[in-house]
Amino acid sequence: MKNLKLVAREIKKGTVVKVADVEIGRDFVVIAGPCSVESEKQILDTAWAVKAAGADMLRGGAFKPRTSPYSFQGLAIQGLKMLEKAKKETGLPIVTEVVDPRDVSWVAEFADVLQIGTRNMQNFSLLKEVGSSGRPVLLKRGMHSTLEEWLNCAEYILSEGNPDVILCERGIRTFETYTRNTLDLSAVPAIKELSHLPIMIDPTHSTGRISLIASMSMAAVAAGADGMIVEVHHKPQEALCDADQALTPDMFANMMSRLRPLKSFFNNLPSASTGKRKLTEVRQK
Amino acid sequence: MKPEEIRKKTNKIDRELLVLLQERMGLALRSKKFKETLSDPQQENDMLARAERLNLDLIKSTFTRRLLKTIIEETKRLQDEDRSLAAFQGEHGAYGEVAARRLVPDGAYIPCLEFIDVFRGVEDGYFDLGVVPVENSLEGAVTQVNDLLTTTDLNVIGEVKVAVSHCLLATEATDYREIRQVFSHPQALAQCRNFLMRNKLESRPYYDTAGAAKMLARENPRAAAAIASSLCAELYDLEIIKEGIEDGPSNSTRFLLLAREPHPDNGDKTSIIFAVTHEAGRLYAVLKLFADAEINLTRIASMPLRSDPGNYSFFLDFEGSDKNEKVAAVLKEMEGLTKWMKYLGSYPADKAVS
Repeated sequence: MKNLKLVAREIKKGTVVKVADVEIGRDFVVIAGPCSVESEKQILDTAWAVKAAGADMLRGGAFKPRTSPYSFQGLAIQGLKMLEKAKKETGLPIVTEVVDPRDVSWVAEFADVLQIGTRNMQNFSLLKEVGSSGRPVLLKRGMHSTLEEWLNCAEYILSEGNPDVILCERGIRTFETYTRNTLDLSAVPAIKELSHLPIMIDPTHSTGRISLIASMSMAAVAAGADGMIVEVHHKPQEALCDADQALTPDMFANMMSRLRPLKSFFNNLPSASTGKRKLTEVRQK
Repeated sequence: MKPEEIRKKTNKIDRELLVLLQERMGLALRSKKFKETLSDPQQENDMLARAERLNLDLIKSTFTRRLLKTIIEETKRLQDEDRSLAAFQGEHGAYGEVAARRLVPDGAYIPCLEFIDVFRGVEDGYFDLGVVPVENSLEGAVTQVNDLLTTTDLNVIGEVKVAVSHCLLATEATDYREIRQVFSHPQALAQCRNFLMRNKLESRPYYDTAGAAKMLARENPRAAAAIASSLCAELYDLEIIKEGIEDGPSNSTRFLLLAREPHPDNGDKTSIIFAVTHEAGRLYAVLKLFADAEINLTRIASMPLRSDPGNYSFFLDFEGSDKNEKVAAVLKEMEGLTKWMKYLGSYPADKAVS
């Protein structure tokens, strides 16, 4: 792939993004929380629940890029303050989405990781702004973007001087309608071949079905992902957004109790032979 | 005007009415210190008559009378309550008031322009108590206050350490993305320099942190915010955009509580000031007394003597009350070793002050 000067695999071994005590790129990092911050109680209850189940970081949207302008748009700065409070109480670092370049410096005051959503993957002025924010960036894959387009967007952020980019595969549009999107799990090992950046998966938005989330999370561990970001709501039936796809704290805890042993199992396997021949072919293209 | 705007304006007026009433009550409490008799029917009637003569077409004179009478009654009730008047330097909401509220929970808090107004006001009996800062963990001694402690005759009866946590405040109508300039005391602006730079905000020095908040609430300048305490947000009805915006680990200021009379009970901490003659080993001899008696010193600071250039006064805080035999013995011995000595008081130590 041409023009990838900073994100290409050849540059370095593997980027480890440090957020407080969490090391993304070394451990299997789990980010959990509601789709959007709705109230102080909601975010605090959920934060304590996901922490108890073993989550490493808390997610929650304060600015929501919704398909319809009439849907709940998020609590904006009030939501950020609630996230800050949840962090203060539970100690979980905060991951939250930023949608407007004018908001970046302000969101960076509250959040530990800035998330760029799928709809904004190629919002280049936003990418440049988070590139100079001094905060790690979770860059979701555009729902109809190729790996090359996606990596070029990461290149934008790195070229502004920010080395801490975490990629996140969140499903792409296909002809299938049973699932909300199709989780492109092959993106995980493919990105590992092409780039040194860590990659996570989002089993919530990619499947849009609660029943599929645990299976795809296990599969992501097997595929070598560096973590996942998953929606958990303390009372999903009352959620103001994405109510049908959020896990309950119990479901999340159950999934986590199966994920961690699976991860240690994979850690103890003999290392895989690295398809070197194929890799050189890829590079030649 | 849209209904929503009308409602907002009405709310704002209601709040302003209450703030003005609060100011009036404060004045009434202060006037108590001058008046022999509390109620003055003649003066009250004059006041009511004058108010009724105001030609306000929407406000009937009967209503005016009823309203003012209610206010006067409440004022009298408050005057009877016998609250302590605690003076501090700065506008309402200043860190001095934060300290005063901690030290005197049920007081009436009176703002003063200068530190000397606090000292003089307590000395002359206009206020019951004074609250003054002596040292800041970053900036060091507050020299003006230390100087006044040397020259005036008040007793220290308490202390408190207040963590200085700066907030970015703006009026409710302000969109944080439009903020361009930030008003505050130069020291507060300096403590938040990185925050201001990160968000591309321009510093606008102002005489006081709380004063900046007050100005913001009253004048509502465009695209502006202030850096002040969270108490200011409550007092001036401002929104806290971000708490804890100082760059470094939060700094703290130690405040002393001053009164005309010494603390009635045994305190557990004592403050003194002394000066020694310019001779070898004089200061050492004094400090040795404390070492030999195994009394722990919690603060030692020196300040040039204004009355005697080239000489210094020493501020000493140590553990123990002057009623403690060991302490009393040391203080007695000190008298012979020092050129001059002033006992400030024994008082309960704030556990947060290390």
